[in-house]
Amino acid sequence: MKITRREALLAAGGAAFLTGCGPLSNRTRAASQQPATLPRVGDDPYVSAVNRFGFGPTPGQVDQMREHTLEQWFESQLLPDESEPQELNWMLGRMEINYLGPYDLRDWREEAIVMQMQQAAILRAVYSPWQLRERMVDFWTNHLNIYAKKGLAVYRKPMDEREVVRKHALGNFRDMIHASSKSTAMLVYLDQQASTKAHPNENYARELLELHTLGVNGGYTQLDVMEAARCFTGWSEERRFMRPRGAFRFIEGIHDKKEKTFLGEKIPAGGGVEDGERVVNLALDHPATGRYLATKLCRYFLGHTDSSSVEAVATAYRDKQGDIPSMMRVVFAEYQKRNEPVVKRPLDYVASSMRAVQASSDAGQEVLKRMEQMGQPLYLWPMPDGYPLETDSWTGSLLARWNFAHDLAHRSVKGSLVDIKKLTKETGASAIPSIVFGQSDGELINHFASVTAGLEPRMAASACLASPEFQWR
Amino acid sequence: MAMKHNINNPNFYCNGHGELKPAERSRFSRREALSLGLLGAGLLWANPRTALAQAAIRKGGTGHTLVVIFLRGGADGLNIVTPFAEDEYYKNRPSLAIANPKSGGLEKDRLIGLDDFFGMNPALASLRQAWDAGELAWVQAVGSQDQTHSHFEAMNTMERGLKNQADQSSGGWLARYLNATSDQNHPLRAVSFSSILPDSLMGSPAALAVNNISDFKLTSESEQFAATLEAMYSNATDQMARAGEETLQVLKSLEGVDPNSYKPNNGATYPVSQLGQGMKQVGMLIRRGLGLEVACLESLGWDSHVAQGTTEGWLTELLRDLGDSIGALHKDLGAEMKNVTVVVQTEFGRRVGENSGLGTDHGSASCMMVLGGGINGGKVYTEWPGLAPEQLADPGDLKVTTDYRSVLTEVMSSRIGFTDAQSLFPGFKPNSIGLA
Repeated sequence: MKITRREALLAAGGAAFLTGCGPLSNRTRAASQQPATLPRVGDDPYVSAVNRFGFGPTPGQVDQMREHTLEQWFESQLLPDESEPQELNWMLGRMEINYLGPYDLRDWREEAIVMQMQQAAILRAVYSPWQLRERMVDFWTNHLNIYAKKGLAVYRKPMDEREVVRKHALGNFRDMIHASSKSTAMLVYLDQQASTKAHPNENYARELLELHTLGVNGGYTQLDVMEAARCFTGWSEERRFMRPRGAFRFIEGIHDKKEKTFLGEKIPAGGGVEDGERVVNLALDHPATGRYLATKLCRYFLGHTDSSSVEAVATAYRDKQGDIPSMMRVVFAEYQKRNEPVVKRPLDYVASSMRAVQASSDAGQEVLKRMEQMGQPLYLWPMPDGYPLETDSWTGSLLARWNFAHDLAHRSVKGSLVDIKKLTKETGASAIPSIVFGQSDGELINHFASVTAGLEPRMAASACLASPEFQWR
Repeated sequence: MAMKHNINNPNFYCNGHGELKPAERSRFSRREALSLGLLGAGLLWANPRTALAQAAIRKGGTGHTLVVIFLRGGADGLNIVTPFAEDEYYKNRPSLAIANPKSGGLEKDRLIGLDDFFGMNPALASLRQAWDAGELAWVQAVGSQDQTHSHFEAMNTMERGLKNQADQSSGGWLARYLNATSDQNHPLRAVSFSSILPDSLMGSPAALAVNNISDFKLTSESEQFAATLEAMYSNATDQMARAGEETLQVLKSLEGVDPNSYKPNNGATYPVSQLGQGMKQVGMLIRRGLGLEVACLESLGWDSHVAQGTTEGWLTELLRDLGDSIGALHKDLGAEMKNVTVVVQTEFGRRVGENSGLGTDHGSASCMMVLGGGINGGKVYTEWPGLAPEQLADPGDLKVTTDYRSVLTEVMSSRIGFTDAQSLFPGFKPNSIGLA
């Protein structure tokens, strides 16, 4: 399987993909180091699937999965219920951001809100059995990125994460974008609340088209952005006394009621809030939107954007009116045909490390500090495009990962415990590579048997987590 | 602006003092300068712990450090280098205009006169010294051909060194430079003071992202862990593994370097901001002679759609931080600035007319700053397009009359001695500007 994947990769010019860039100029190519090859990652299809569609295996998880086919596992992941393990429920239940709204949070410190949000996201990624849902949340929260520290957005952000991202993560994309367009966190983040008919602000309208729906080459013009901005004038938030502050509010008086043209469609004069809703619908109906979304899903889940895969997913978007599970079924089928390695972002890295060694963690301050050193303090990517996915973005911060790997396994990450005796009780210390990588044999395990030979169990676990191979999902 | 020289003109290798030098010659002289610098480094760094670390210094690159500061969000060039002699400027910006240098009132409330047409934002007062010394040049109405008005597209275009997104050249422009000169292979060639590599360094295994040099060490003192990492990251076959090899090399070369005990020269004080502290570490690495060739820093938050202010407010604070950070480096390095070039760029400027939110929307051209010992400074270089309605680019933007790549090409060839502009910016024909 390994060889066929490698062949497929080379045939598709995938070597260029792996260096994160297209063909280099002759001069540059001559000077660069040896050509990149595939990272050595596991070849067990179950392990690969939980790495790609979840946050990596926990010890014993894959053995349980083998009782079903991979398709059965995937289907069950598409239908999560609200049940979570008791410990996770208990941790999440103590976090106010999971139920408070903007008004309730008004006296909170910004840092406290952000910290709770980060903590909750990590805990869910590590401990929720609904791994695909958490994966999708990671995808969508970046797709609809809101920098938590932009002005008043921080008080509105927990509500956005609940009511836009999590609520629709495995629901319908159209519902998600409509919810997002009335999410005051998004409107504040992109200066929409300050947009008036005299001077419409283009920021939200532009990002809706460029990043949320059609994509930058989706065929809209600067004029479309300006017309959309006119349609959204008056989309603001409740700030009146004794009203639900921070809720969506359409302010008729500053709405531009004149006729507009958006993506070739006339939007008649005299409209109100429905002008903006029409813009959202026209953007969602546009064929570029399905393709753009499909491309992003393929890059994230398949590690490539082959046109046949993108087309298949885009077709599901169109035929099923934005139903996310329908798109994800196609993504999974395409994934099984061909997939390429995707580098772990710090959230992936931290969560998969904790899962691999069954850490008991509060995902508290120390873990959050480490995430920041690795370059992904959650919810704090300032620009609306979300944390980057490219390998190139993450090559510069490996040291922080190594330190985390070592300190986690050696109980030096405050609030995170690893019971190495319990972990190796049944299998013995030599089984550390199998435990960390979630598979019992194969080339990968043989390699790590020799790397970790003679090392204490904690050091062996550090080595596996810090290895080049563990940086890929 | 002097646009008559083509890049092929031998004058292009002018070292900035009117003296002509063939490229090879000038590279040699930098080597000499480097070995002199090494004596200094040896003294400063009394106890280089590993032989490898010393070897790293000896192999050190060009002896020149390029410091690139990216202002993210689209900085309002018209309120940085302001055309106060244009009536249209004041007409378009009734609430956001900055007063003429000769107007009354406090100095902090009016422009710093640069010539009889342009003035510099008073928040940049710390750069006055460099300007007066002729080591600071501005380029106005500069930008890319990107038409999207999108931050991400425009930033990506500039950091990858492209004409626009249709251009398929790979990786970042600084990565292309580093890869093309990878024979100068030594650790710490390029550092980005950020937690993620910027697009300009994408594709270079030699580049490193560091928030703070003092955090750049293994937390464990276990030699076994270090040895295991070395074993796992040797003979690297994939991209992350190669980056790991580089990281281990840099760890060795930074042994014993402590930014917390670094004392800037000449009473320079760096701001406590992220940019300021990054610049301080750039200063330290340069003075340590570690062979740093490229440093990337960024300043965030220039997207001034709302309430940007004039000579007070948050945009002013960002500018002050920028000016104070660069001013501190200039002061700290003193004569060593002859081997340092600072470039400041942004993805686009703002629209000429202000909006209802007392801010400005995404525009086209902005300004660039180039600062260093051999710069033909004290001058604003521009082919000024004008601000009258018929002189603007759609939908009301300052026109781009100088391609940002012309500025970078000139810096790379005249200051660094890297003359293969085609490998940096494939297919691009630069215009000579005359600033370096």
